[in-house]
Amino acid sequence: MAICRIGFAVFKKTALYQVRTLSLFLNESKYNTQVKLCCDERYWEVDWSDQQVRYLTSKTVPVSDDIKHCNVGTIGHIDHGKTTLTAAITKVLEEEGYSRFVSYEEIDRAPEEKARGVTINATHVQYRTKMRHYAHTDCPGHSDYIKNMISGASQMDGAIVVVAATDGQMPQTREHLLLAKQIGIKNIVVFINKVDLVDEDVVDLVEIEMRELLNDFGYDGIVTPIIRGSAKLALQGDNSEMGKKSIISLMKAIDEHIPTPTRDTTSPFILPIDDAFTVPGRGTVVIGTLERGVIKKNDEAELLGFNVKKSTSVADIQIFKKSVPSAEAGENLGVLVRGVRLQAVERGMLLCARGSMDISNCFESEIYFLTKSEGGRSKPVTSKYIQQFFSKTWNILCRVDVKEGEMIMPGEHARVIITLLRGMVLLEGQSFTIRENNQTVATGIVAKILPSVSLINTKLHKVQIPNVHN
Amino acid sequence: MFSGNIIRFIHVGYTVFNASNKTLLSKLRKQTGYTFANCKKALELNDYNYSLAEKWLQDQAQQLGWSKATKLEGRITAQGLVAVGMEKNNAVIVEVNCETDFVARNKNFSSLVELAATTCLNHTASVPVGSHLSRFQLDAEILKSLKVHDGKTLSDHLALVIGKVGENLSLRRATCFHAADGILLAGYAHPSPNFQSSVLLGKFGAVVAYQADSPSQSDTKLRENLSVDEIGRQLCQHVVGMNPVKIGEVGQDTPANNPDDESCMIYQEYLLDPSQTVGEMLASTSISVLDFARYECGEELLENTENNSSKVAVEIGG
Repeated sequence: MAICRIGFAVFKKTALYQVRTLSLFLNESKYNTQVKLCCDERYWEVDWSDQQVRYLTSKTVPVSDDIKHCNVGTIGHIDHGKTTLTAAITKVLEEEGYSRFVSYEEIDRAPEEKARGVTINATHVQYRTKMRHYAHTDCPGHSDYIKNMISGASQMDGAIVVVAATDGQMPQTREHLLLAKQIGIKNIVVFINKVDLVDEDVVDLVEIEMRELLNDFGYDGIVTPIIRGSAKLALQGDNSEMGKKSIISLMKAIDEHIPTPTRDTTSPFILPIDDAFTVPGRGTVVIGTLERGVIKKNDEAELLGFNVKKSTSVADIQIFKKSVPSAEAGENLGVLVRGVRLQAVERGMLLCARGSMDISNCFESEIYFLTKSEGGRSKPVTSKYIQQFFSKTWNILCRVDVKEGEMIMPGEHARVIITLLRGMVLLEGQSFTIRENNQTVATGIVAKILPSVSLINTKLHKVQIPNVHN
Repeated sequence: MFSGNIIRFIHVGYTVFNASNKTLLSKLRKQTGYTFANCKKALELNDYNYSLAEKWLQDQAQQLGWSKATKLEGRITAQGLVAVGMEKNNAVIVEVNCETDFVARNKNFSSLVELAATTCLNHTASVPVGSHLSRFQLDAEILKSLKVHDGKTLSDHLALVIGKVGENLSLRRATCFHAADGILLAGYAHPSPNFQSSVLLGKFGAVVAYQADSPSQSDTKLRENLSVDEIGRQLCQHVVGMNPVKIGEVGQDTPANNPDDESCMIYQEYLLDPSQTVGEMLASTSISVLDFARYECGEELLENTENNSSKVAVEIGG
């Protein structure tokens, strides 16, 4: 049974989705139908065989068991030793006392996985260094990585690019780096494998070429760590520079070069609203988990969503029924807002620093349509596809438009334009699903916010939509 | 084994490898794109003479490609591209496979698929054909032996690309159409790629052979917005999207009970206007579909289905 720690609001509203995602992350619970969650400082138990969320115990969770987590993945040519490297990492880290060894065969025959109903060919391995816990993803193809990103199974914070010293980069290495860019990987570590098979001079050249290529794709070719070694030797227990030591330097480079995703406390604050109620004699209190930034008493704020833009200010902040002067991202809190009637607040709205965000009803998105066997449609989607859109705690009617004259087949991902019935605050990277006849047919993420388009008489099918680029 | 030879060579024939040699190796690798191991071997065999080494590599490329191809033979190729090539009254649809979709997106591979399609087009043009619509199938063996304009076979070119990308590739199948005057051919590939090429490339491809009768007074209005060519392209898009099994004939075939399971093209909802069936759309625009072919990259094939449908096609055409 895996224990995960997530925000209370997330847990309360979308527990089932989140839990599925998290359990995939943690690999070990893949075969269980139950997961224990640590949330709101208490343990909860989720059983999705019958879609039930149960309260387990009120035992307070010790905060110190928190270890930083990071998601990485391997990308590289099929014969350059990605699987061997992954196995070697777990072996070396097991010797260091942090991890469990996962053999080549185990990694190689990983079953297909389902995240949000989407079948993905992916291998997930987990290991630990002294510093962090890692979830390691390896997919066979470009579209699997895209599906992995869109369905949110495991967002990759960094990638290990594997290149064999015997071959050097391959023509398709360009496609590998393009993919890394596309799925938003900011930091890369390169492992030059099979260095035992060539002279050191050749390895030098492979390194120079890789650095040039990284520069071509907008990565920093100078600071990117490039580690030389032989995953095979390491796996065989070789203790030389090329063997075990190369894996240790690789993990050190990953620890240092790929930063742990942190909560953003410097940007203007954002509080997605999960609930609202009235405190007699005081006013309206909105509840949610602060997504980013720091909120302070008397901050100028704005209530946004469902075509509403209402200025207000923060009269009071409460955490666990105690009034506090300020709160940081990640905290579940209630905010007393000035001059807002309860009727004006709807779940799905957002409270933010005044002027920092705007509402829009139109955005570009990266979307994946489920195949029929995944429960999706059997027919392709063309423009003016109108269905219900679900994101976070809200849902609304939307229209999907594809590139002029094109279509999307079930099982394909594409860039589309989505127009919502009413203006909402959307954040880049926000995930959503589209449902048709109570079945999830598509899942996607917001890629780019576009200017609002005006709807006449709320008729979505009559709107003129800007062209889909890309 | 090929790689075994290289390793042995490097270990036995070790020469002093100075800085200028390193520059040469780097330059040769950049110019030719061959693997470091092969570039190094080329330089060592030619006493570090750049032009000789480059020539050696080019001479060896074919052989190196072949040995790599032999080594990788048997590995599953489920990804790839479908190409649709059109020229005058000929159309071909070709499938070439590779191991990962990374390679399917690479220029080296897409150029090979383009080459395969244009070679098949030339082949179609050279084959004597009947008076109406003829359709024939090329299997992997025939495809491999087709001669490209430079005198090499398609399989030679295939081996060259295998040598470059280091993945197993295979020429899977092709269907060729040759239409007599009065019969039109339309082609479509999905999804349309971001780059320009002489043929249409995608994961799916379709070719439709159709006839357009001269429109009567009322039809002109219906076709006003769309040219016959555009309707042809949309029919192909319909074939890709709705995956009909056959065209179907009024009277002989009956519509399926559930419209979602309909496999007869004429009874299917028209993809671009679901308010009418394909049959209705065809009738209103005085267009008749004679034959079609649909390829989905990596799809499983039923034995002999292609042969049967081509028989039907010949009958319709004749």
